[in-house]
Amino acid sequence: MQAVVLRGNQDGYQLAIDQSADFEAVKTGLRELLDNLSADAEATVKISFDVLTGDRLLSADQNRQLEAIVSEYAGFSIHKITANVMTIEEAFYLKEQDNVHLLTQTIRNGQRVEMKGDVLFLGTINEGGNLTTSGNLYLLGDVMGVVHAGAPSFEDKLIIGDLHQAQQVRIGEQINIIEADQLAADHKTVAYVNDLHTVTYGHLHELKEINPKLYHQIGG
Amino acid sequence: MGKSIVITSGKGGVGKTTSSANIGTALALMGKRVCLVDLDIGLRNLDVVLGLDNRIIYDIVDVVAGRAKLAQALVKDKRFDDLLYLLPAAQNTDKTALNEDEARAIIDELKPDFDYVLIDCPAGIEQGFMNAIAGADTAIIVTTPEISAVRDADRVVGLLEKNPLQEESHIVINRIRPHMMDEGDVMDIDEITHHLGVPLLGIVVDDDEVIATSNHGEPVVLKTDNPAGRGYRDIARRLEGETVPLMNIQTAKPSFWSKVASWFKRG
Repeated sequence: MQAVVLRGNQDGYQLAIDQSADFEAVKTGLRELLDNLSADAEATVKISFDVLTGDRLLSADQNRQLEAIVSEYAGFSIHKITANVMTIEEAFYLKEQDNVHLLTQTIRNGQRVEMKGDVLFLGTINEGGNLTTSGNLYLLGDVMGVVHAGAPSFEDKLIIGDLHQAQQVRIGEQINIIEADQLAADHKTVAYVNDLHTVTYGHLHELKEINPKLYHQIGG
Repeated sequence: MGKSIVITSGKGGVGKTTSSANIGTALALMGKRVCLVDLDIGLRNLDVVLGLDNRIIYDIVDVVAGRAKLAQALVKDKRFDDLLYLLPAAQNTDKTALNEDEARAIIDELKPDFDYVLIDCPAGIEQGFMNAIAGADTAIIVTTPEISAVRDADRVVGLLEKNPLQEESHIVINRIRPHMMDEGDVMDIDEITHHLGVPLLGIVVDDDEVIATSNHGEPVVLKTDNPAGRGYRDIARRLEGETVPLMNIQTAKPSFWSKVASWFKRG
């Protein structure tokens, strides 16, 4: 089997790289293929390839080498290089972004807990404690400290739970200082950022109007 | 150019933070522009005593690290129109997050904008203490009529004599229980002042309302009829150069007939 195979379908032209081939063989295979192609193709049409590496991740350096070879031919360029696989690091990142994390601890004065993605919080945040996440916050426990959703700057995130005892509610870059008697003791309070970029409070039954995207995400 | 005053004691729990909050508030009540600086990094309390704990967004360590400008970190007390500000300490780190030069730079930056910069010093004589005295022009040493507090105050006076500030330090004797002083169970005011060899700035009696008010986030000086509040107001007036006689704390001696009456009282 050849190290590099040209394929064409409705998405355009693709260069499929044999995942078991030696990288040097891939480079010579690519040169041969492009030599043949440039002899055949009309000089006026520029062809952009998607490079498919199969179940193999090329290093950044290897990607550059392939791009350098293709750039030697005036009529060809690389659109993108894709693989069927990803690093464990990337996989964990994706998993973190998608999961709802369960958190049960007590966050005490001076402690700061930083999370990624959505968090379901069952513990207690004491005065001076801080819970920060990049996603949404669902709070079932007592909150007397600072809660921050959508860190550092995602204003489409929500905080749902009883916030009347909290010190501050932060969503993205917006900060709201909770005054005494500002909010009712209600577990169905929804904090969100409105069109005027200020933190606003609504009720759970208005959630569909507040953030239709959330329903879309859940699939409801 | 304002004056920077560090409020220190050596010993913990003698009322440094309460005194800082109350002296600062008393000066603001007199129309002075005051900035309170909490240097008790890791165990901050001044914000709680002032009822400003929920308004903190940036703190002094954020300023030093360049994450925020000094003006962004200052928390304004809404009760005093543009007169009283707090620079909060950080809570998620410790005293070593700051060094003397950084602390001095912050105090020097605040002084032109305020009449008084009051620095709330942490207990102890380690890095936190060194940071607190670094930018101070003078010191108020808070003590109580307890031997242990006076001993520690003596140690602090000694340390301040080694690293002299621009102006002479003063002492404040806090939490005085008049009846115990009358009965000679604790050192009296003259004894303490003489023992420490530092001029007396004022005395503050022990009063339940000091704790009650601080739990509500409003300093006791705001209560016009409270004796402890009066003590702090007198201190503020003396700082402003007024001559105010020392408050009379002698307990009224019970008269003969009230003594007789007390024999017949139940319980």
